Order: sequence, then structure tokens, then C-alpha cells
Amino acid sequence: MTTFRILGAAAFLAAGVSMAQAQQLAPSPTLDAIKARGNLECGVHLGLPGFSFANDKGEWSGLDVDYCKALAAAVLGDAGKVKFTPTSVQQRWPILQSGQVDLLSRNSTITFSRNATLGLNFQGINFYEGQTFIVRKSANAKTAADLDGASVCVAAGSTEEKNAADWFRERNLKTTITNFQKNDDAIAAYDAGRCDAYTAGVGALAGQRAKLKNPEEHVILTQPISNDPQGPVTRWGDERWQLIVRWVLNGMIAAEALGVTSKNVDEMKANSKNSEVRRLLGAEGGFGAMMGLSNDWMYNAIKQVGNYGESYERTVGMGSPLKLERGQNQLWLKGGLLFTPPFQ
Amino acid sequence: MSSFLSFINDKRVRDWFYQIALILLLVGLTVFFVRNASENMVKAGIASGFDFLWRTSGIEVPFVLTGYTQSDDIFALFWVGVANTMLVTVIAIVLATVLGFAIGIARLSSHWLLSTIAGAYIEFVRNIPLLFFVLFWYFGVIAALPQPRQSIGLFGVAFLNNRGLTMPLPDAPGNFRWAALAIFASWLGYWLASAWARRRKDRTGQDAPLLAIGIGLIVVVPALAIAWASLATRWDIPVLRGFNYRGGFVVIPEFVALLAALVTYTAGFIAEIVRGGIESVARGQTEAASALGLRPGRTLSLVVIPQALRVMTPPLTNQYLNVLKNSSFGAAIAYPDVVSLFMGSALNNTGQAIEIIAMTLAVYLVIGLAVSALMNWYNARIALVTR
Repeated sequence: MTTFRILGAAAFLAAGVSMAQAQQLAPSPTLDAIKARGNLECGVHLGLPGFSFANDKGEWSGLDVDYCKALAAAVLGDAGKVKFTPTSVQQRWPILQSGQVDLLSRNSTITFSRNATLGLNFQGINFYEGQTFIVRKSANAKTAADLDGASVCVAAGSTEEKNAADWFRERNLKTTITNFQKNDDAIAAYDAGRCDAYTAGVGALAGQRAKLKNPEEHVILTQPISNDPQGPVTRWGDERWQLIVRWVLNGMIAAEALGVTSKNVDEMKANSKNSEVRRLLGAEGGFGAMMGLSNDWMYNAIKQVGNYGESYERTVGMGSPLKLERGQNQLWLKGGLLFTPPFQ
Repeated sequence: MSSFLSFINDKRVRDWFYQIALILLLVGLTVFFVRNASENMVKAGIASGFDFLWRTSGIEVPFVLTGYTQSDDIFALFWVGVANTMLVTVIAIVLATVLGFAIGIARLSSHWLLSTIAGAYIEFVRNIPLLFFVLFWYFGVIAALPQPRQSIGLFGVAFLNNRGLTMPLPDAPGNFRWAALAIFASWLGYWLASAWARRRKDRTGQDAPLLAIGIGLIVVVPALAIAWASLATRWDIPVLRGFNYRGGFVVIPEFVALLAALVTYTAGFIAEIVRGGIESVARGQTEAASALGLRPGRTLSLVVIPQALRVMTPPLTNQYLNVLKNSSFGAAIAYPDVVSLFMGSALNNTGQAIEIIAMTLAVYLVIGLAVSALMNWYNARIALVTR
């Protein structure tokens, strides 16, 4: 009888311990699937230089791609363990909703209706984009308002399509908008002379100008007509996965603010007296374990991919062919909009 | 027991049983899929239902036949797509039939060069994917046409450039409605006159002066009506301002390119159907007709083609349905058809994939069934009547 009691008590204790663990860490089907599979499946843009672009060897690079690599480093310890799935404007939401990818990191604008009706969550902002136009220099247009009567090519179903239509209608400008299924088709038609202007985000335009027949004959209008914040997207449910996606992005930005780079990360982890740096890099606090990751999650991400600023310079900034100023995408400390909650 | 056995061995009973079982299976499968999809959508937090149709669309469309503007709702956008799909389909079917008949008959010509060219065309067209035709015509058309400022003017009122053909549009269409009515009435008159002439010829053997009546009613009266309507209306004539011509009606290059691609592509297939139909008519029919003294042209139109049509109609129906489906290739070149506008723009703005895809499928199904119903009616009408 006593043996039964002891066994029963042991079973009860075991159940209690495992329940305590379960309470601490809610199940994350997405994370479990990634660990079982051994790689992260990341939905990216079909091909947008600076953001997500595959070279002729099939190696992906870009700001959105870097984020996926950092996430893979944080989750699996290896930035190389990402399978990139190129998605068109039309495919991106169904591919995420149906579970074919773990997240999207593909230059898509965060909007209210997408958040409210598509079963999607936006986990922060990795690029503040403004929509503008590319026109031929010979058209003599300085701002979007000079495009009265022009014909504009755009990708169908993008936020740019509606933004442009609204913007011109509000100002009583008679502009015809021709909607193509893909960005590439739209810009090819612009290049062929079908349209006077092509519209997209300033980052996308900077990358796509290089693909035109005579890039120097075209000019990108400097004043944006909209604000299009972009960042990683997850589907509803699986809060713990959303937590990871959000805090890896925060971690990359925080690393830049705290002065942690891929070069000094070992030294910082060993010697830094700043406890926020130590918590970020897993030297104290056990923050990784709270999400079901190893404690050097952000150490791996920064060591292998770099902080946000390093990634920006390499992909779209001065170290890249796009040569985009930091602008709004600068840290809040330096007059930009990038801000993260503290690692506390 | 034996009555039960004979009951289940009754062929009619078993036929009914299989019919009912099949229906139950289909209904069950449909219910299963619909419920499964809707449960999954609720779980994933995706809104469902058709309420999105009444949201403001906000999408601008460059080629509209219905009076739609971007402040209308998404249902109105849907109709713009349906109308554009039907427009290009109907015109493409008519033109492809005309071109296909011409090529098919040329293929059978005894003139060696003509039949070789027709044969080469057919082989070329049949072995090239339609998408190449669409892109060829689109980028071909655009590359060949000048920029707006160097437009080709047609009589100073219509202008052709790489943004399309801009034509004057009447300010008030009232006069044109009267003209259309007059044209319809005169064509009806010709039809009655020819029916009367046929009856009279059957009775008395006398020819009526149909040619003169025909020219009068089919050509002169409509020409006069159109001339009157044009002169009595104020025209909105396009003028070059800024980037492009303003005013008038624009036939966009996407429409022209898609239409040209559908017509040239489908004509190749129709030509083969025409050839097969004509060759199926027994040689003795032609020989009998020439023995009666009919010239080759009349032999073809009075003896061969009417018999060939019976063979041609079912495969022609298939080609017409293909034209309808292939019109969705317009999405590749930004022709605003139902696929491009509704399954492209509207789907991306609302994310209601299941509803939108179902509605688009229904559009193709309804138009397709209407086309085949029409062709079946025609087939029944021309069927050989045996007495």
C-alpha cells in the first residue's frame, strides 16, 4: 500500500513538474516543426535587389533575407539553415496562411485590414518605406503632382496600387493606372514605354532602376506619397513563435544601439559590464530559455549575420549598389524611427 | 425473398440506386470540403463571407465599359472584369472564325502557294504556346507605336500611340440610339423582303431585284443614319495636354494585343477544323454539283459548306470555349479582365481567396455553358433532317 502511495506521490510530482514546465513554455507547433525539420522556411520576395535577391548560384541576399538568416541562427544556431521560398504579391498571404512557410519577410506593407481580416500578425518594422515614382528625366516631373495625365504602371493588388489611385483622386489629377500581375512585368512595361511612370516603394525603386535598359535616363521622385512600414509577418496562433520572431528583430536593432557588432560580439559577451548587453548575448538572465531557445540565441544571430546597421549598410545602404540613406531607418538615438523595448 | 431478389435485380432499380448513391456522395464531399475550409479559416482568424463585395474598391481601371469609378464597391469592380472578359471573348470568337475559315479554305485551294502558306501558318500556330503570342503582340505592338507626343493622327480626331487608340466620343449618345434603331429596322426590312422574294420565287420562278434592295437597306440607310447622328452630336475630341491625349475613348493596347493573340492563335485551330469538315464531305457531292453546272464558288457555298458545318460545329464549340478560357492570359499583360481585376487586385486587397476564386470559376462556368448551349442549339438546327 505504501509503495503505491509513494509511486502515486512520485507520479503526482512528476505531473506537477511537467505542468509547471508547460505553464512556463506554451507549446509552439511552429518552433517544434522547425527543430524537427532542421531548417527555417522563410517566404521572401521573388527578386528585389537589396531586399531579397538570389544570385546566379542561388544564394540569397538582402535586408529581408538577412533577417531570416538571423532568425535561423537564433533558433537553430546556424544562419545557413534557411529554405527561402520566393513568393509573388498574389501568393504571399495564402502561402503563409496555409503553413507552407514559417513566416514572411518580404517587403510587404503593414496595414490595418491585413491585420484584421487575413489572420496575420506583423511583428515589428525592419524597413520604413515611402512610396514614390520613377519617371524618365525627359518628362520633367519634380513631384508626383506633376504626373497629371500620366499613365502609371503598378503591381496589381499591392498597397501601391490603391495608394496611387487615392492620392491622384484626392487631388483631382487624371492619371491612368495600369495593373500588372508582377512588379517585374510592370517595370518591363514602363521600360518599354507603355507608361510614363512606375510606382513602388523607394527601396524597391532604387533596386529596380538598375534593371532598366538605360538606368541613367530615369529619376526617382524624392517626395514620397505614403508611409509603408514593413516587417516580418506571422499567422495568427502560436504566440511563442510570434514572440521569437518579434524579439530577434528587436535584438538586431538593440545590438546596434548597444554597440554590439559581429566583430566585437565575443569580446562584448565576455567583458561587457552593461547588463542589457549581457542579457542580450545570453551571459546572464537566461532570456533564450524563456522562449524555448538556447541562451546564446542573439549571440549566434549577431555573430553570424550582424546587427541591424551592419545588415542595412551591406544590403541597401552605402556599402551596396542601392546607396540608400538611413533616413527614417536610423536609430531613434540618431533621429530615426528605429526603437526597441529594453531587454529587461 | 424471391420478390426482393427480383427487386434488386431490376435494372431500373439498380440504375436509380447508383444515381442516388452518386448524388449523396457528391453532396457529402461538397459539405465536407466547405465545412473543413470554413472551420480552418475561423481557426486561422481569416474573415469569410461575401460582405467584402460591398466595400469600396479604390482600384482604378484603365478600360471600363460599365461606368465604374474607383469609389464604387468591389462588386462593381467584379462586373467590370466580367464585361471586359466577355467583350474580348465575343470579338475574338467572331474574328477567329472568319480568319480560320479563310485559312482553312485557302489550305484546300488548288493554288499551290496559297495552300502552302496556309499550311505553314497552321503548323506554326499549333506548335507555339499562347503566352508567346500574347507577349509577342503586346511588346510588338508597344515597340512599334510612337510615344504620345509623336502620335499617328487619323483625320485629326483619333490618335494612335503606345498608350492606345484615342477616339472621339459623342457627348450625348441619344442620336446614336436613334441611328441604331433605324439600322436595325432597315436590316429587319431586308430580311422580310428576302423571305418574301424566296416565297415568290418558289411560287412563280421569278427573281426579285434583291441586290438593289439589299444595297439600299443594308448599306445606304445605315450610312445615312450614322452620318446624321454624327453631325447632330457634339463630339469630345481628344487633345494633347501634358503627358497624353485627354478626352475621348481609349482602346488600350492590352486589349488589342490580347485580341490579336487570341484571334491569330485560335484561327490556326479553326482552320484545321474547317479543312477536316470540308474533306469529310464525299467527293461525289462536288462532282454532282459540277455536273449540274454549278461554278466552284457556288458548289462550296451551297453544297459543301452546309454539309461540312455539321461535322465542324462540335469541335468549333470546343475552340470557342478555349477562347473564353484563354482570355485569362490577359492577366499576363495587364488587360483588366475578371482574372486580373478580381482574382488579382481585389483578392490581394481583401484576402478573401476562397470566395473570390469560387466567384471567378462561376463566371467562366456560366459564360461557357451559355456558349455551348448556343452552339448546341445551332447544331440541332443545322442537323440533317431526314424524312
